[in-house]
Amino acid sequence: MNRMVPLAILALAILAFATLMLVIAPAIQIRSEAPTPGLKPYTAQQLRGRTQYVAQGCIYCHSQQPRSIDQAPDAERGWGRASVASDYAYDRPHLLGTMRTGPDLFNVGARLPSRGWHLTHLYQPRAIFGWSIMPAYPYLFERKEHAEPGDVVIILPADRAPKKGVIVAKREALDLVAYLQSLDHTFPAPTRAVRDDGYAEKGEPR
Amino acid sequence: MESFEPYEEFKPIPLPVLIIAVALALWGVFTLLDNGKAVTVGRAERSDQIADQHANRQNGAELFVSRCATCHQPNGSGVEGAIPPLASSPFLKASPEVAMHILLNGIDGPIRVGDATFEGHMPSFASVLSDADIVRLVTHVRGTFADRHDLLTEGDVATARLLAGRRGAWQGGQEIAARLDASLGPQPPMSSATQAAIDPIAQKLVSQGNGQTWACASCHGMRGQGSASVPRLAGLPAAYIAKQLGDYVTGKRRNETMQLVARTLKPQDMRRIGDYYSVMRAPSNARASLGGDLVRGERLVLDGDWARGLPSCVSCHGPSTFGVAPSFPALSAQHPEYTAAQLTAWVSGTRDNSTGRLMNGIAARLNDADRRAVADYLATLPPVPAPATRGRTNGK
Repeated sequence: MNRMVPLAILALAILAFATLMLVIAPAIQIRSEAPTPGLKPYTAQQLRGRTQYVAQGCIYCHSQQPRSIDQAPDAERGWGRASVASDYAYDRPHLLGTMRTGPDLFNVGARLPSRGWHLTHLYQPRAIFGWSIMPAYPYLFERKEHAEPGDVVIILPADRAPKKGVIVAKREALDLVAYLQSLDHTFPAPTRAVRDDGYAEKGEPR
Repeated sequence: MESFEPYEEFKPIPLPVLIIAVALALWGVFTLLDNGKAVTVGRAERSDQIADQHANRQNGAELFVSRCATCHQPNGSGVEGAIPPLASSPFLKASPEVAMHILLNGIDGPIRVGDATFEGHMPSFASVLSDADIVRLVTHVRGTFADRHDLLTEGDVATARLLAGRRGAWQGGQEIAARLDASLGPQPPMSSATQAAIDPIAQKLVSQGNGQTWACASCHGMRGQGSASVPRLAGLPAAYIAKQLGDYVTGKRRNETMQLVARTLKPQDMRRIGDYYSVMRAPSNARASLGGDLVRGERLVLDGDWARGLPSCVSCHGPSTFGVAPSFPALSAQHPEYTAAQLTAWVSGTRDNSTGRLMNGIAARLNDADRRAVADYLATLPPVPAPATRGRTNGK
């Protein structure tokens, strides 16, 4: 092989340039972003739930990045305004997701605030939506003959309820739901926030 | 040298390839700059939009026309037997704090103006008017109708606003006179008959559920305010709520969650829940959030667009879209995500239960931008005041 040294230098230079533009420059850009006013740090329970969110693989089918109105009607779906960098200030790592097999969850706490609803839905999504393709998570729950004090009994329609006893939520399920309920970014984004401005023409809504 | 190492002779890059490379690079730089402009334009537009919505630049007279004149009339004469006059009203002649507190909390009870007594049903404007708006409006109204010119400051409004969130509407003139300004003279007391008796069965259904389904309040909130796609229920007509629950059972209105809930409710439960929410009063937590054009929205809501066969919302849903019982729900202070979703549902057929199927046709004639404009504008209106049917529970 000829000219080994120039070739290696060129290859490294191209990699360095890409790193500069795609990693270092954006990092500098968002490093100084303060959390969006109104954003709260996670509680211990919500953080445990966040671990469940990762462990159960929710991220494979659910995104956490609503788009602006000129890219998709996410706001009209109730998924919330387009997210900005500072909305993820307490997310390390972020859970943006890449697929929308299910709906975006960045504002699921505002759209579906009920703990009871989420517990039923996690235990058996098809108890609510007959057409749902979401997996059920029955192992986050257990069947008991009688609910003990402090147990959270989940509500099930008659055809899904156990013949005997009750279904109660395990701690993992309660943590996960606490995390889902905390996903509420309905406060306004700061005007100067770092965000995707899309390609909307002047005068179009965004 | 035993083996020959093959090598390529130096050949320059062909000219067309060079030209393409340079062209691509130029295109990249141009796109970068062009996109940079989009960012600047986007930011400027967004700050304008926010400035328009939050620091409404209307002056006092314009605010009066758009917010007050529908009921109190442009000349402040009110409507005999229904809406108290503003002209020479003792409430305006009193200290400016009285008008401010009334705007922030609304009135829900009898008041005496001049020689007449009115059953007061004024909405709270706390969610609608900024501190500066209230200062301008109070100054204009008191100057015009009561010839009083002492001033209110934005600081006064900000302080009062903190308290306004915690207390409900003023329970009639007597409470206002006692708490704010004794110079208002004798005011009628709040009669016990108009104070709604809270139905304990409905309250339990709403806050704890019936054991077979989730509690209403777990999604719609303890005060029936809703959020995002979950509708506000506070102040909707009782018969309307009961009808919707019934329609979920028959499938004329489809929503998986609500259909599951409604199937566990007996018809009398539905009526109880309707009655319970119809007399509930809660501050608005709705905000324009779909990027809709609020000016266009206001025109569609107040005047409609007859060129496209769109009647105004107020022609059926009543002045200020506060609803007309039993069939037409209040639209004001509703969450724009919910309003827009319903307008879409009438087109797609998942909802087919409006009176005379009126909404199917109207929704079909709204385009995307108009739908967002209407939904956003309705979210900026004050919440419905307590209905006149208050106290007459279980009458339907």
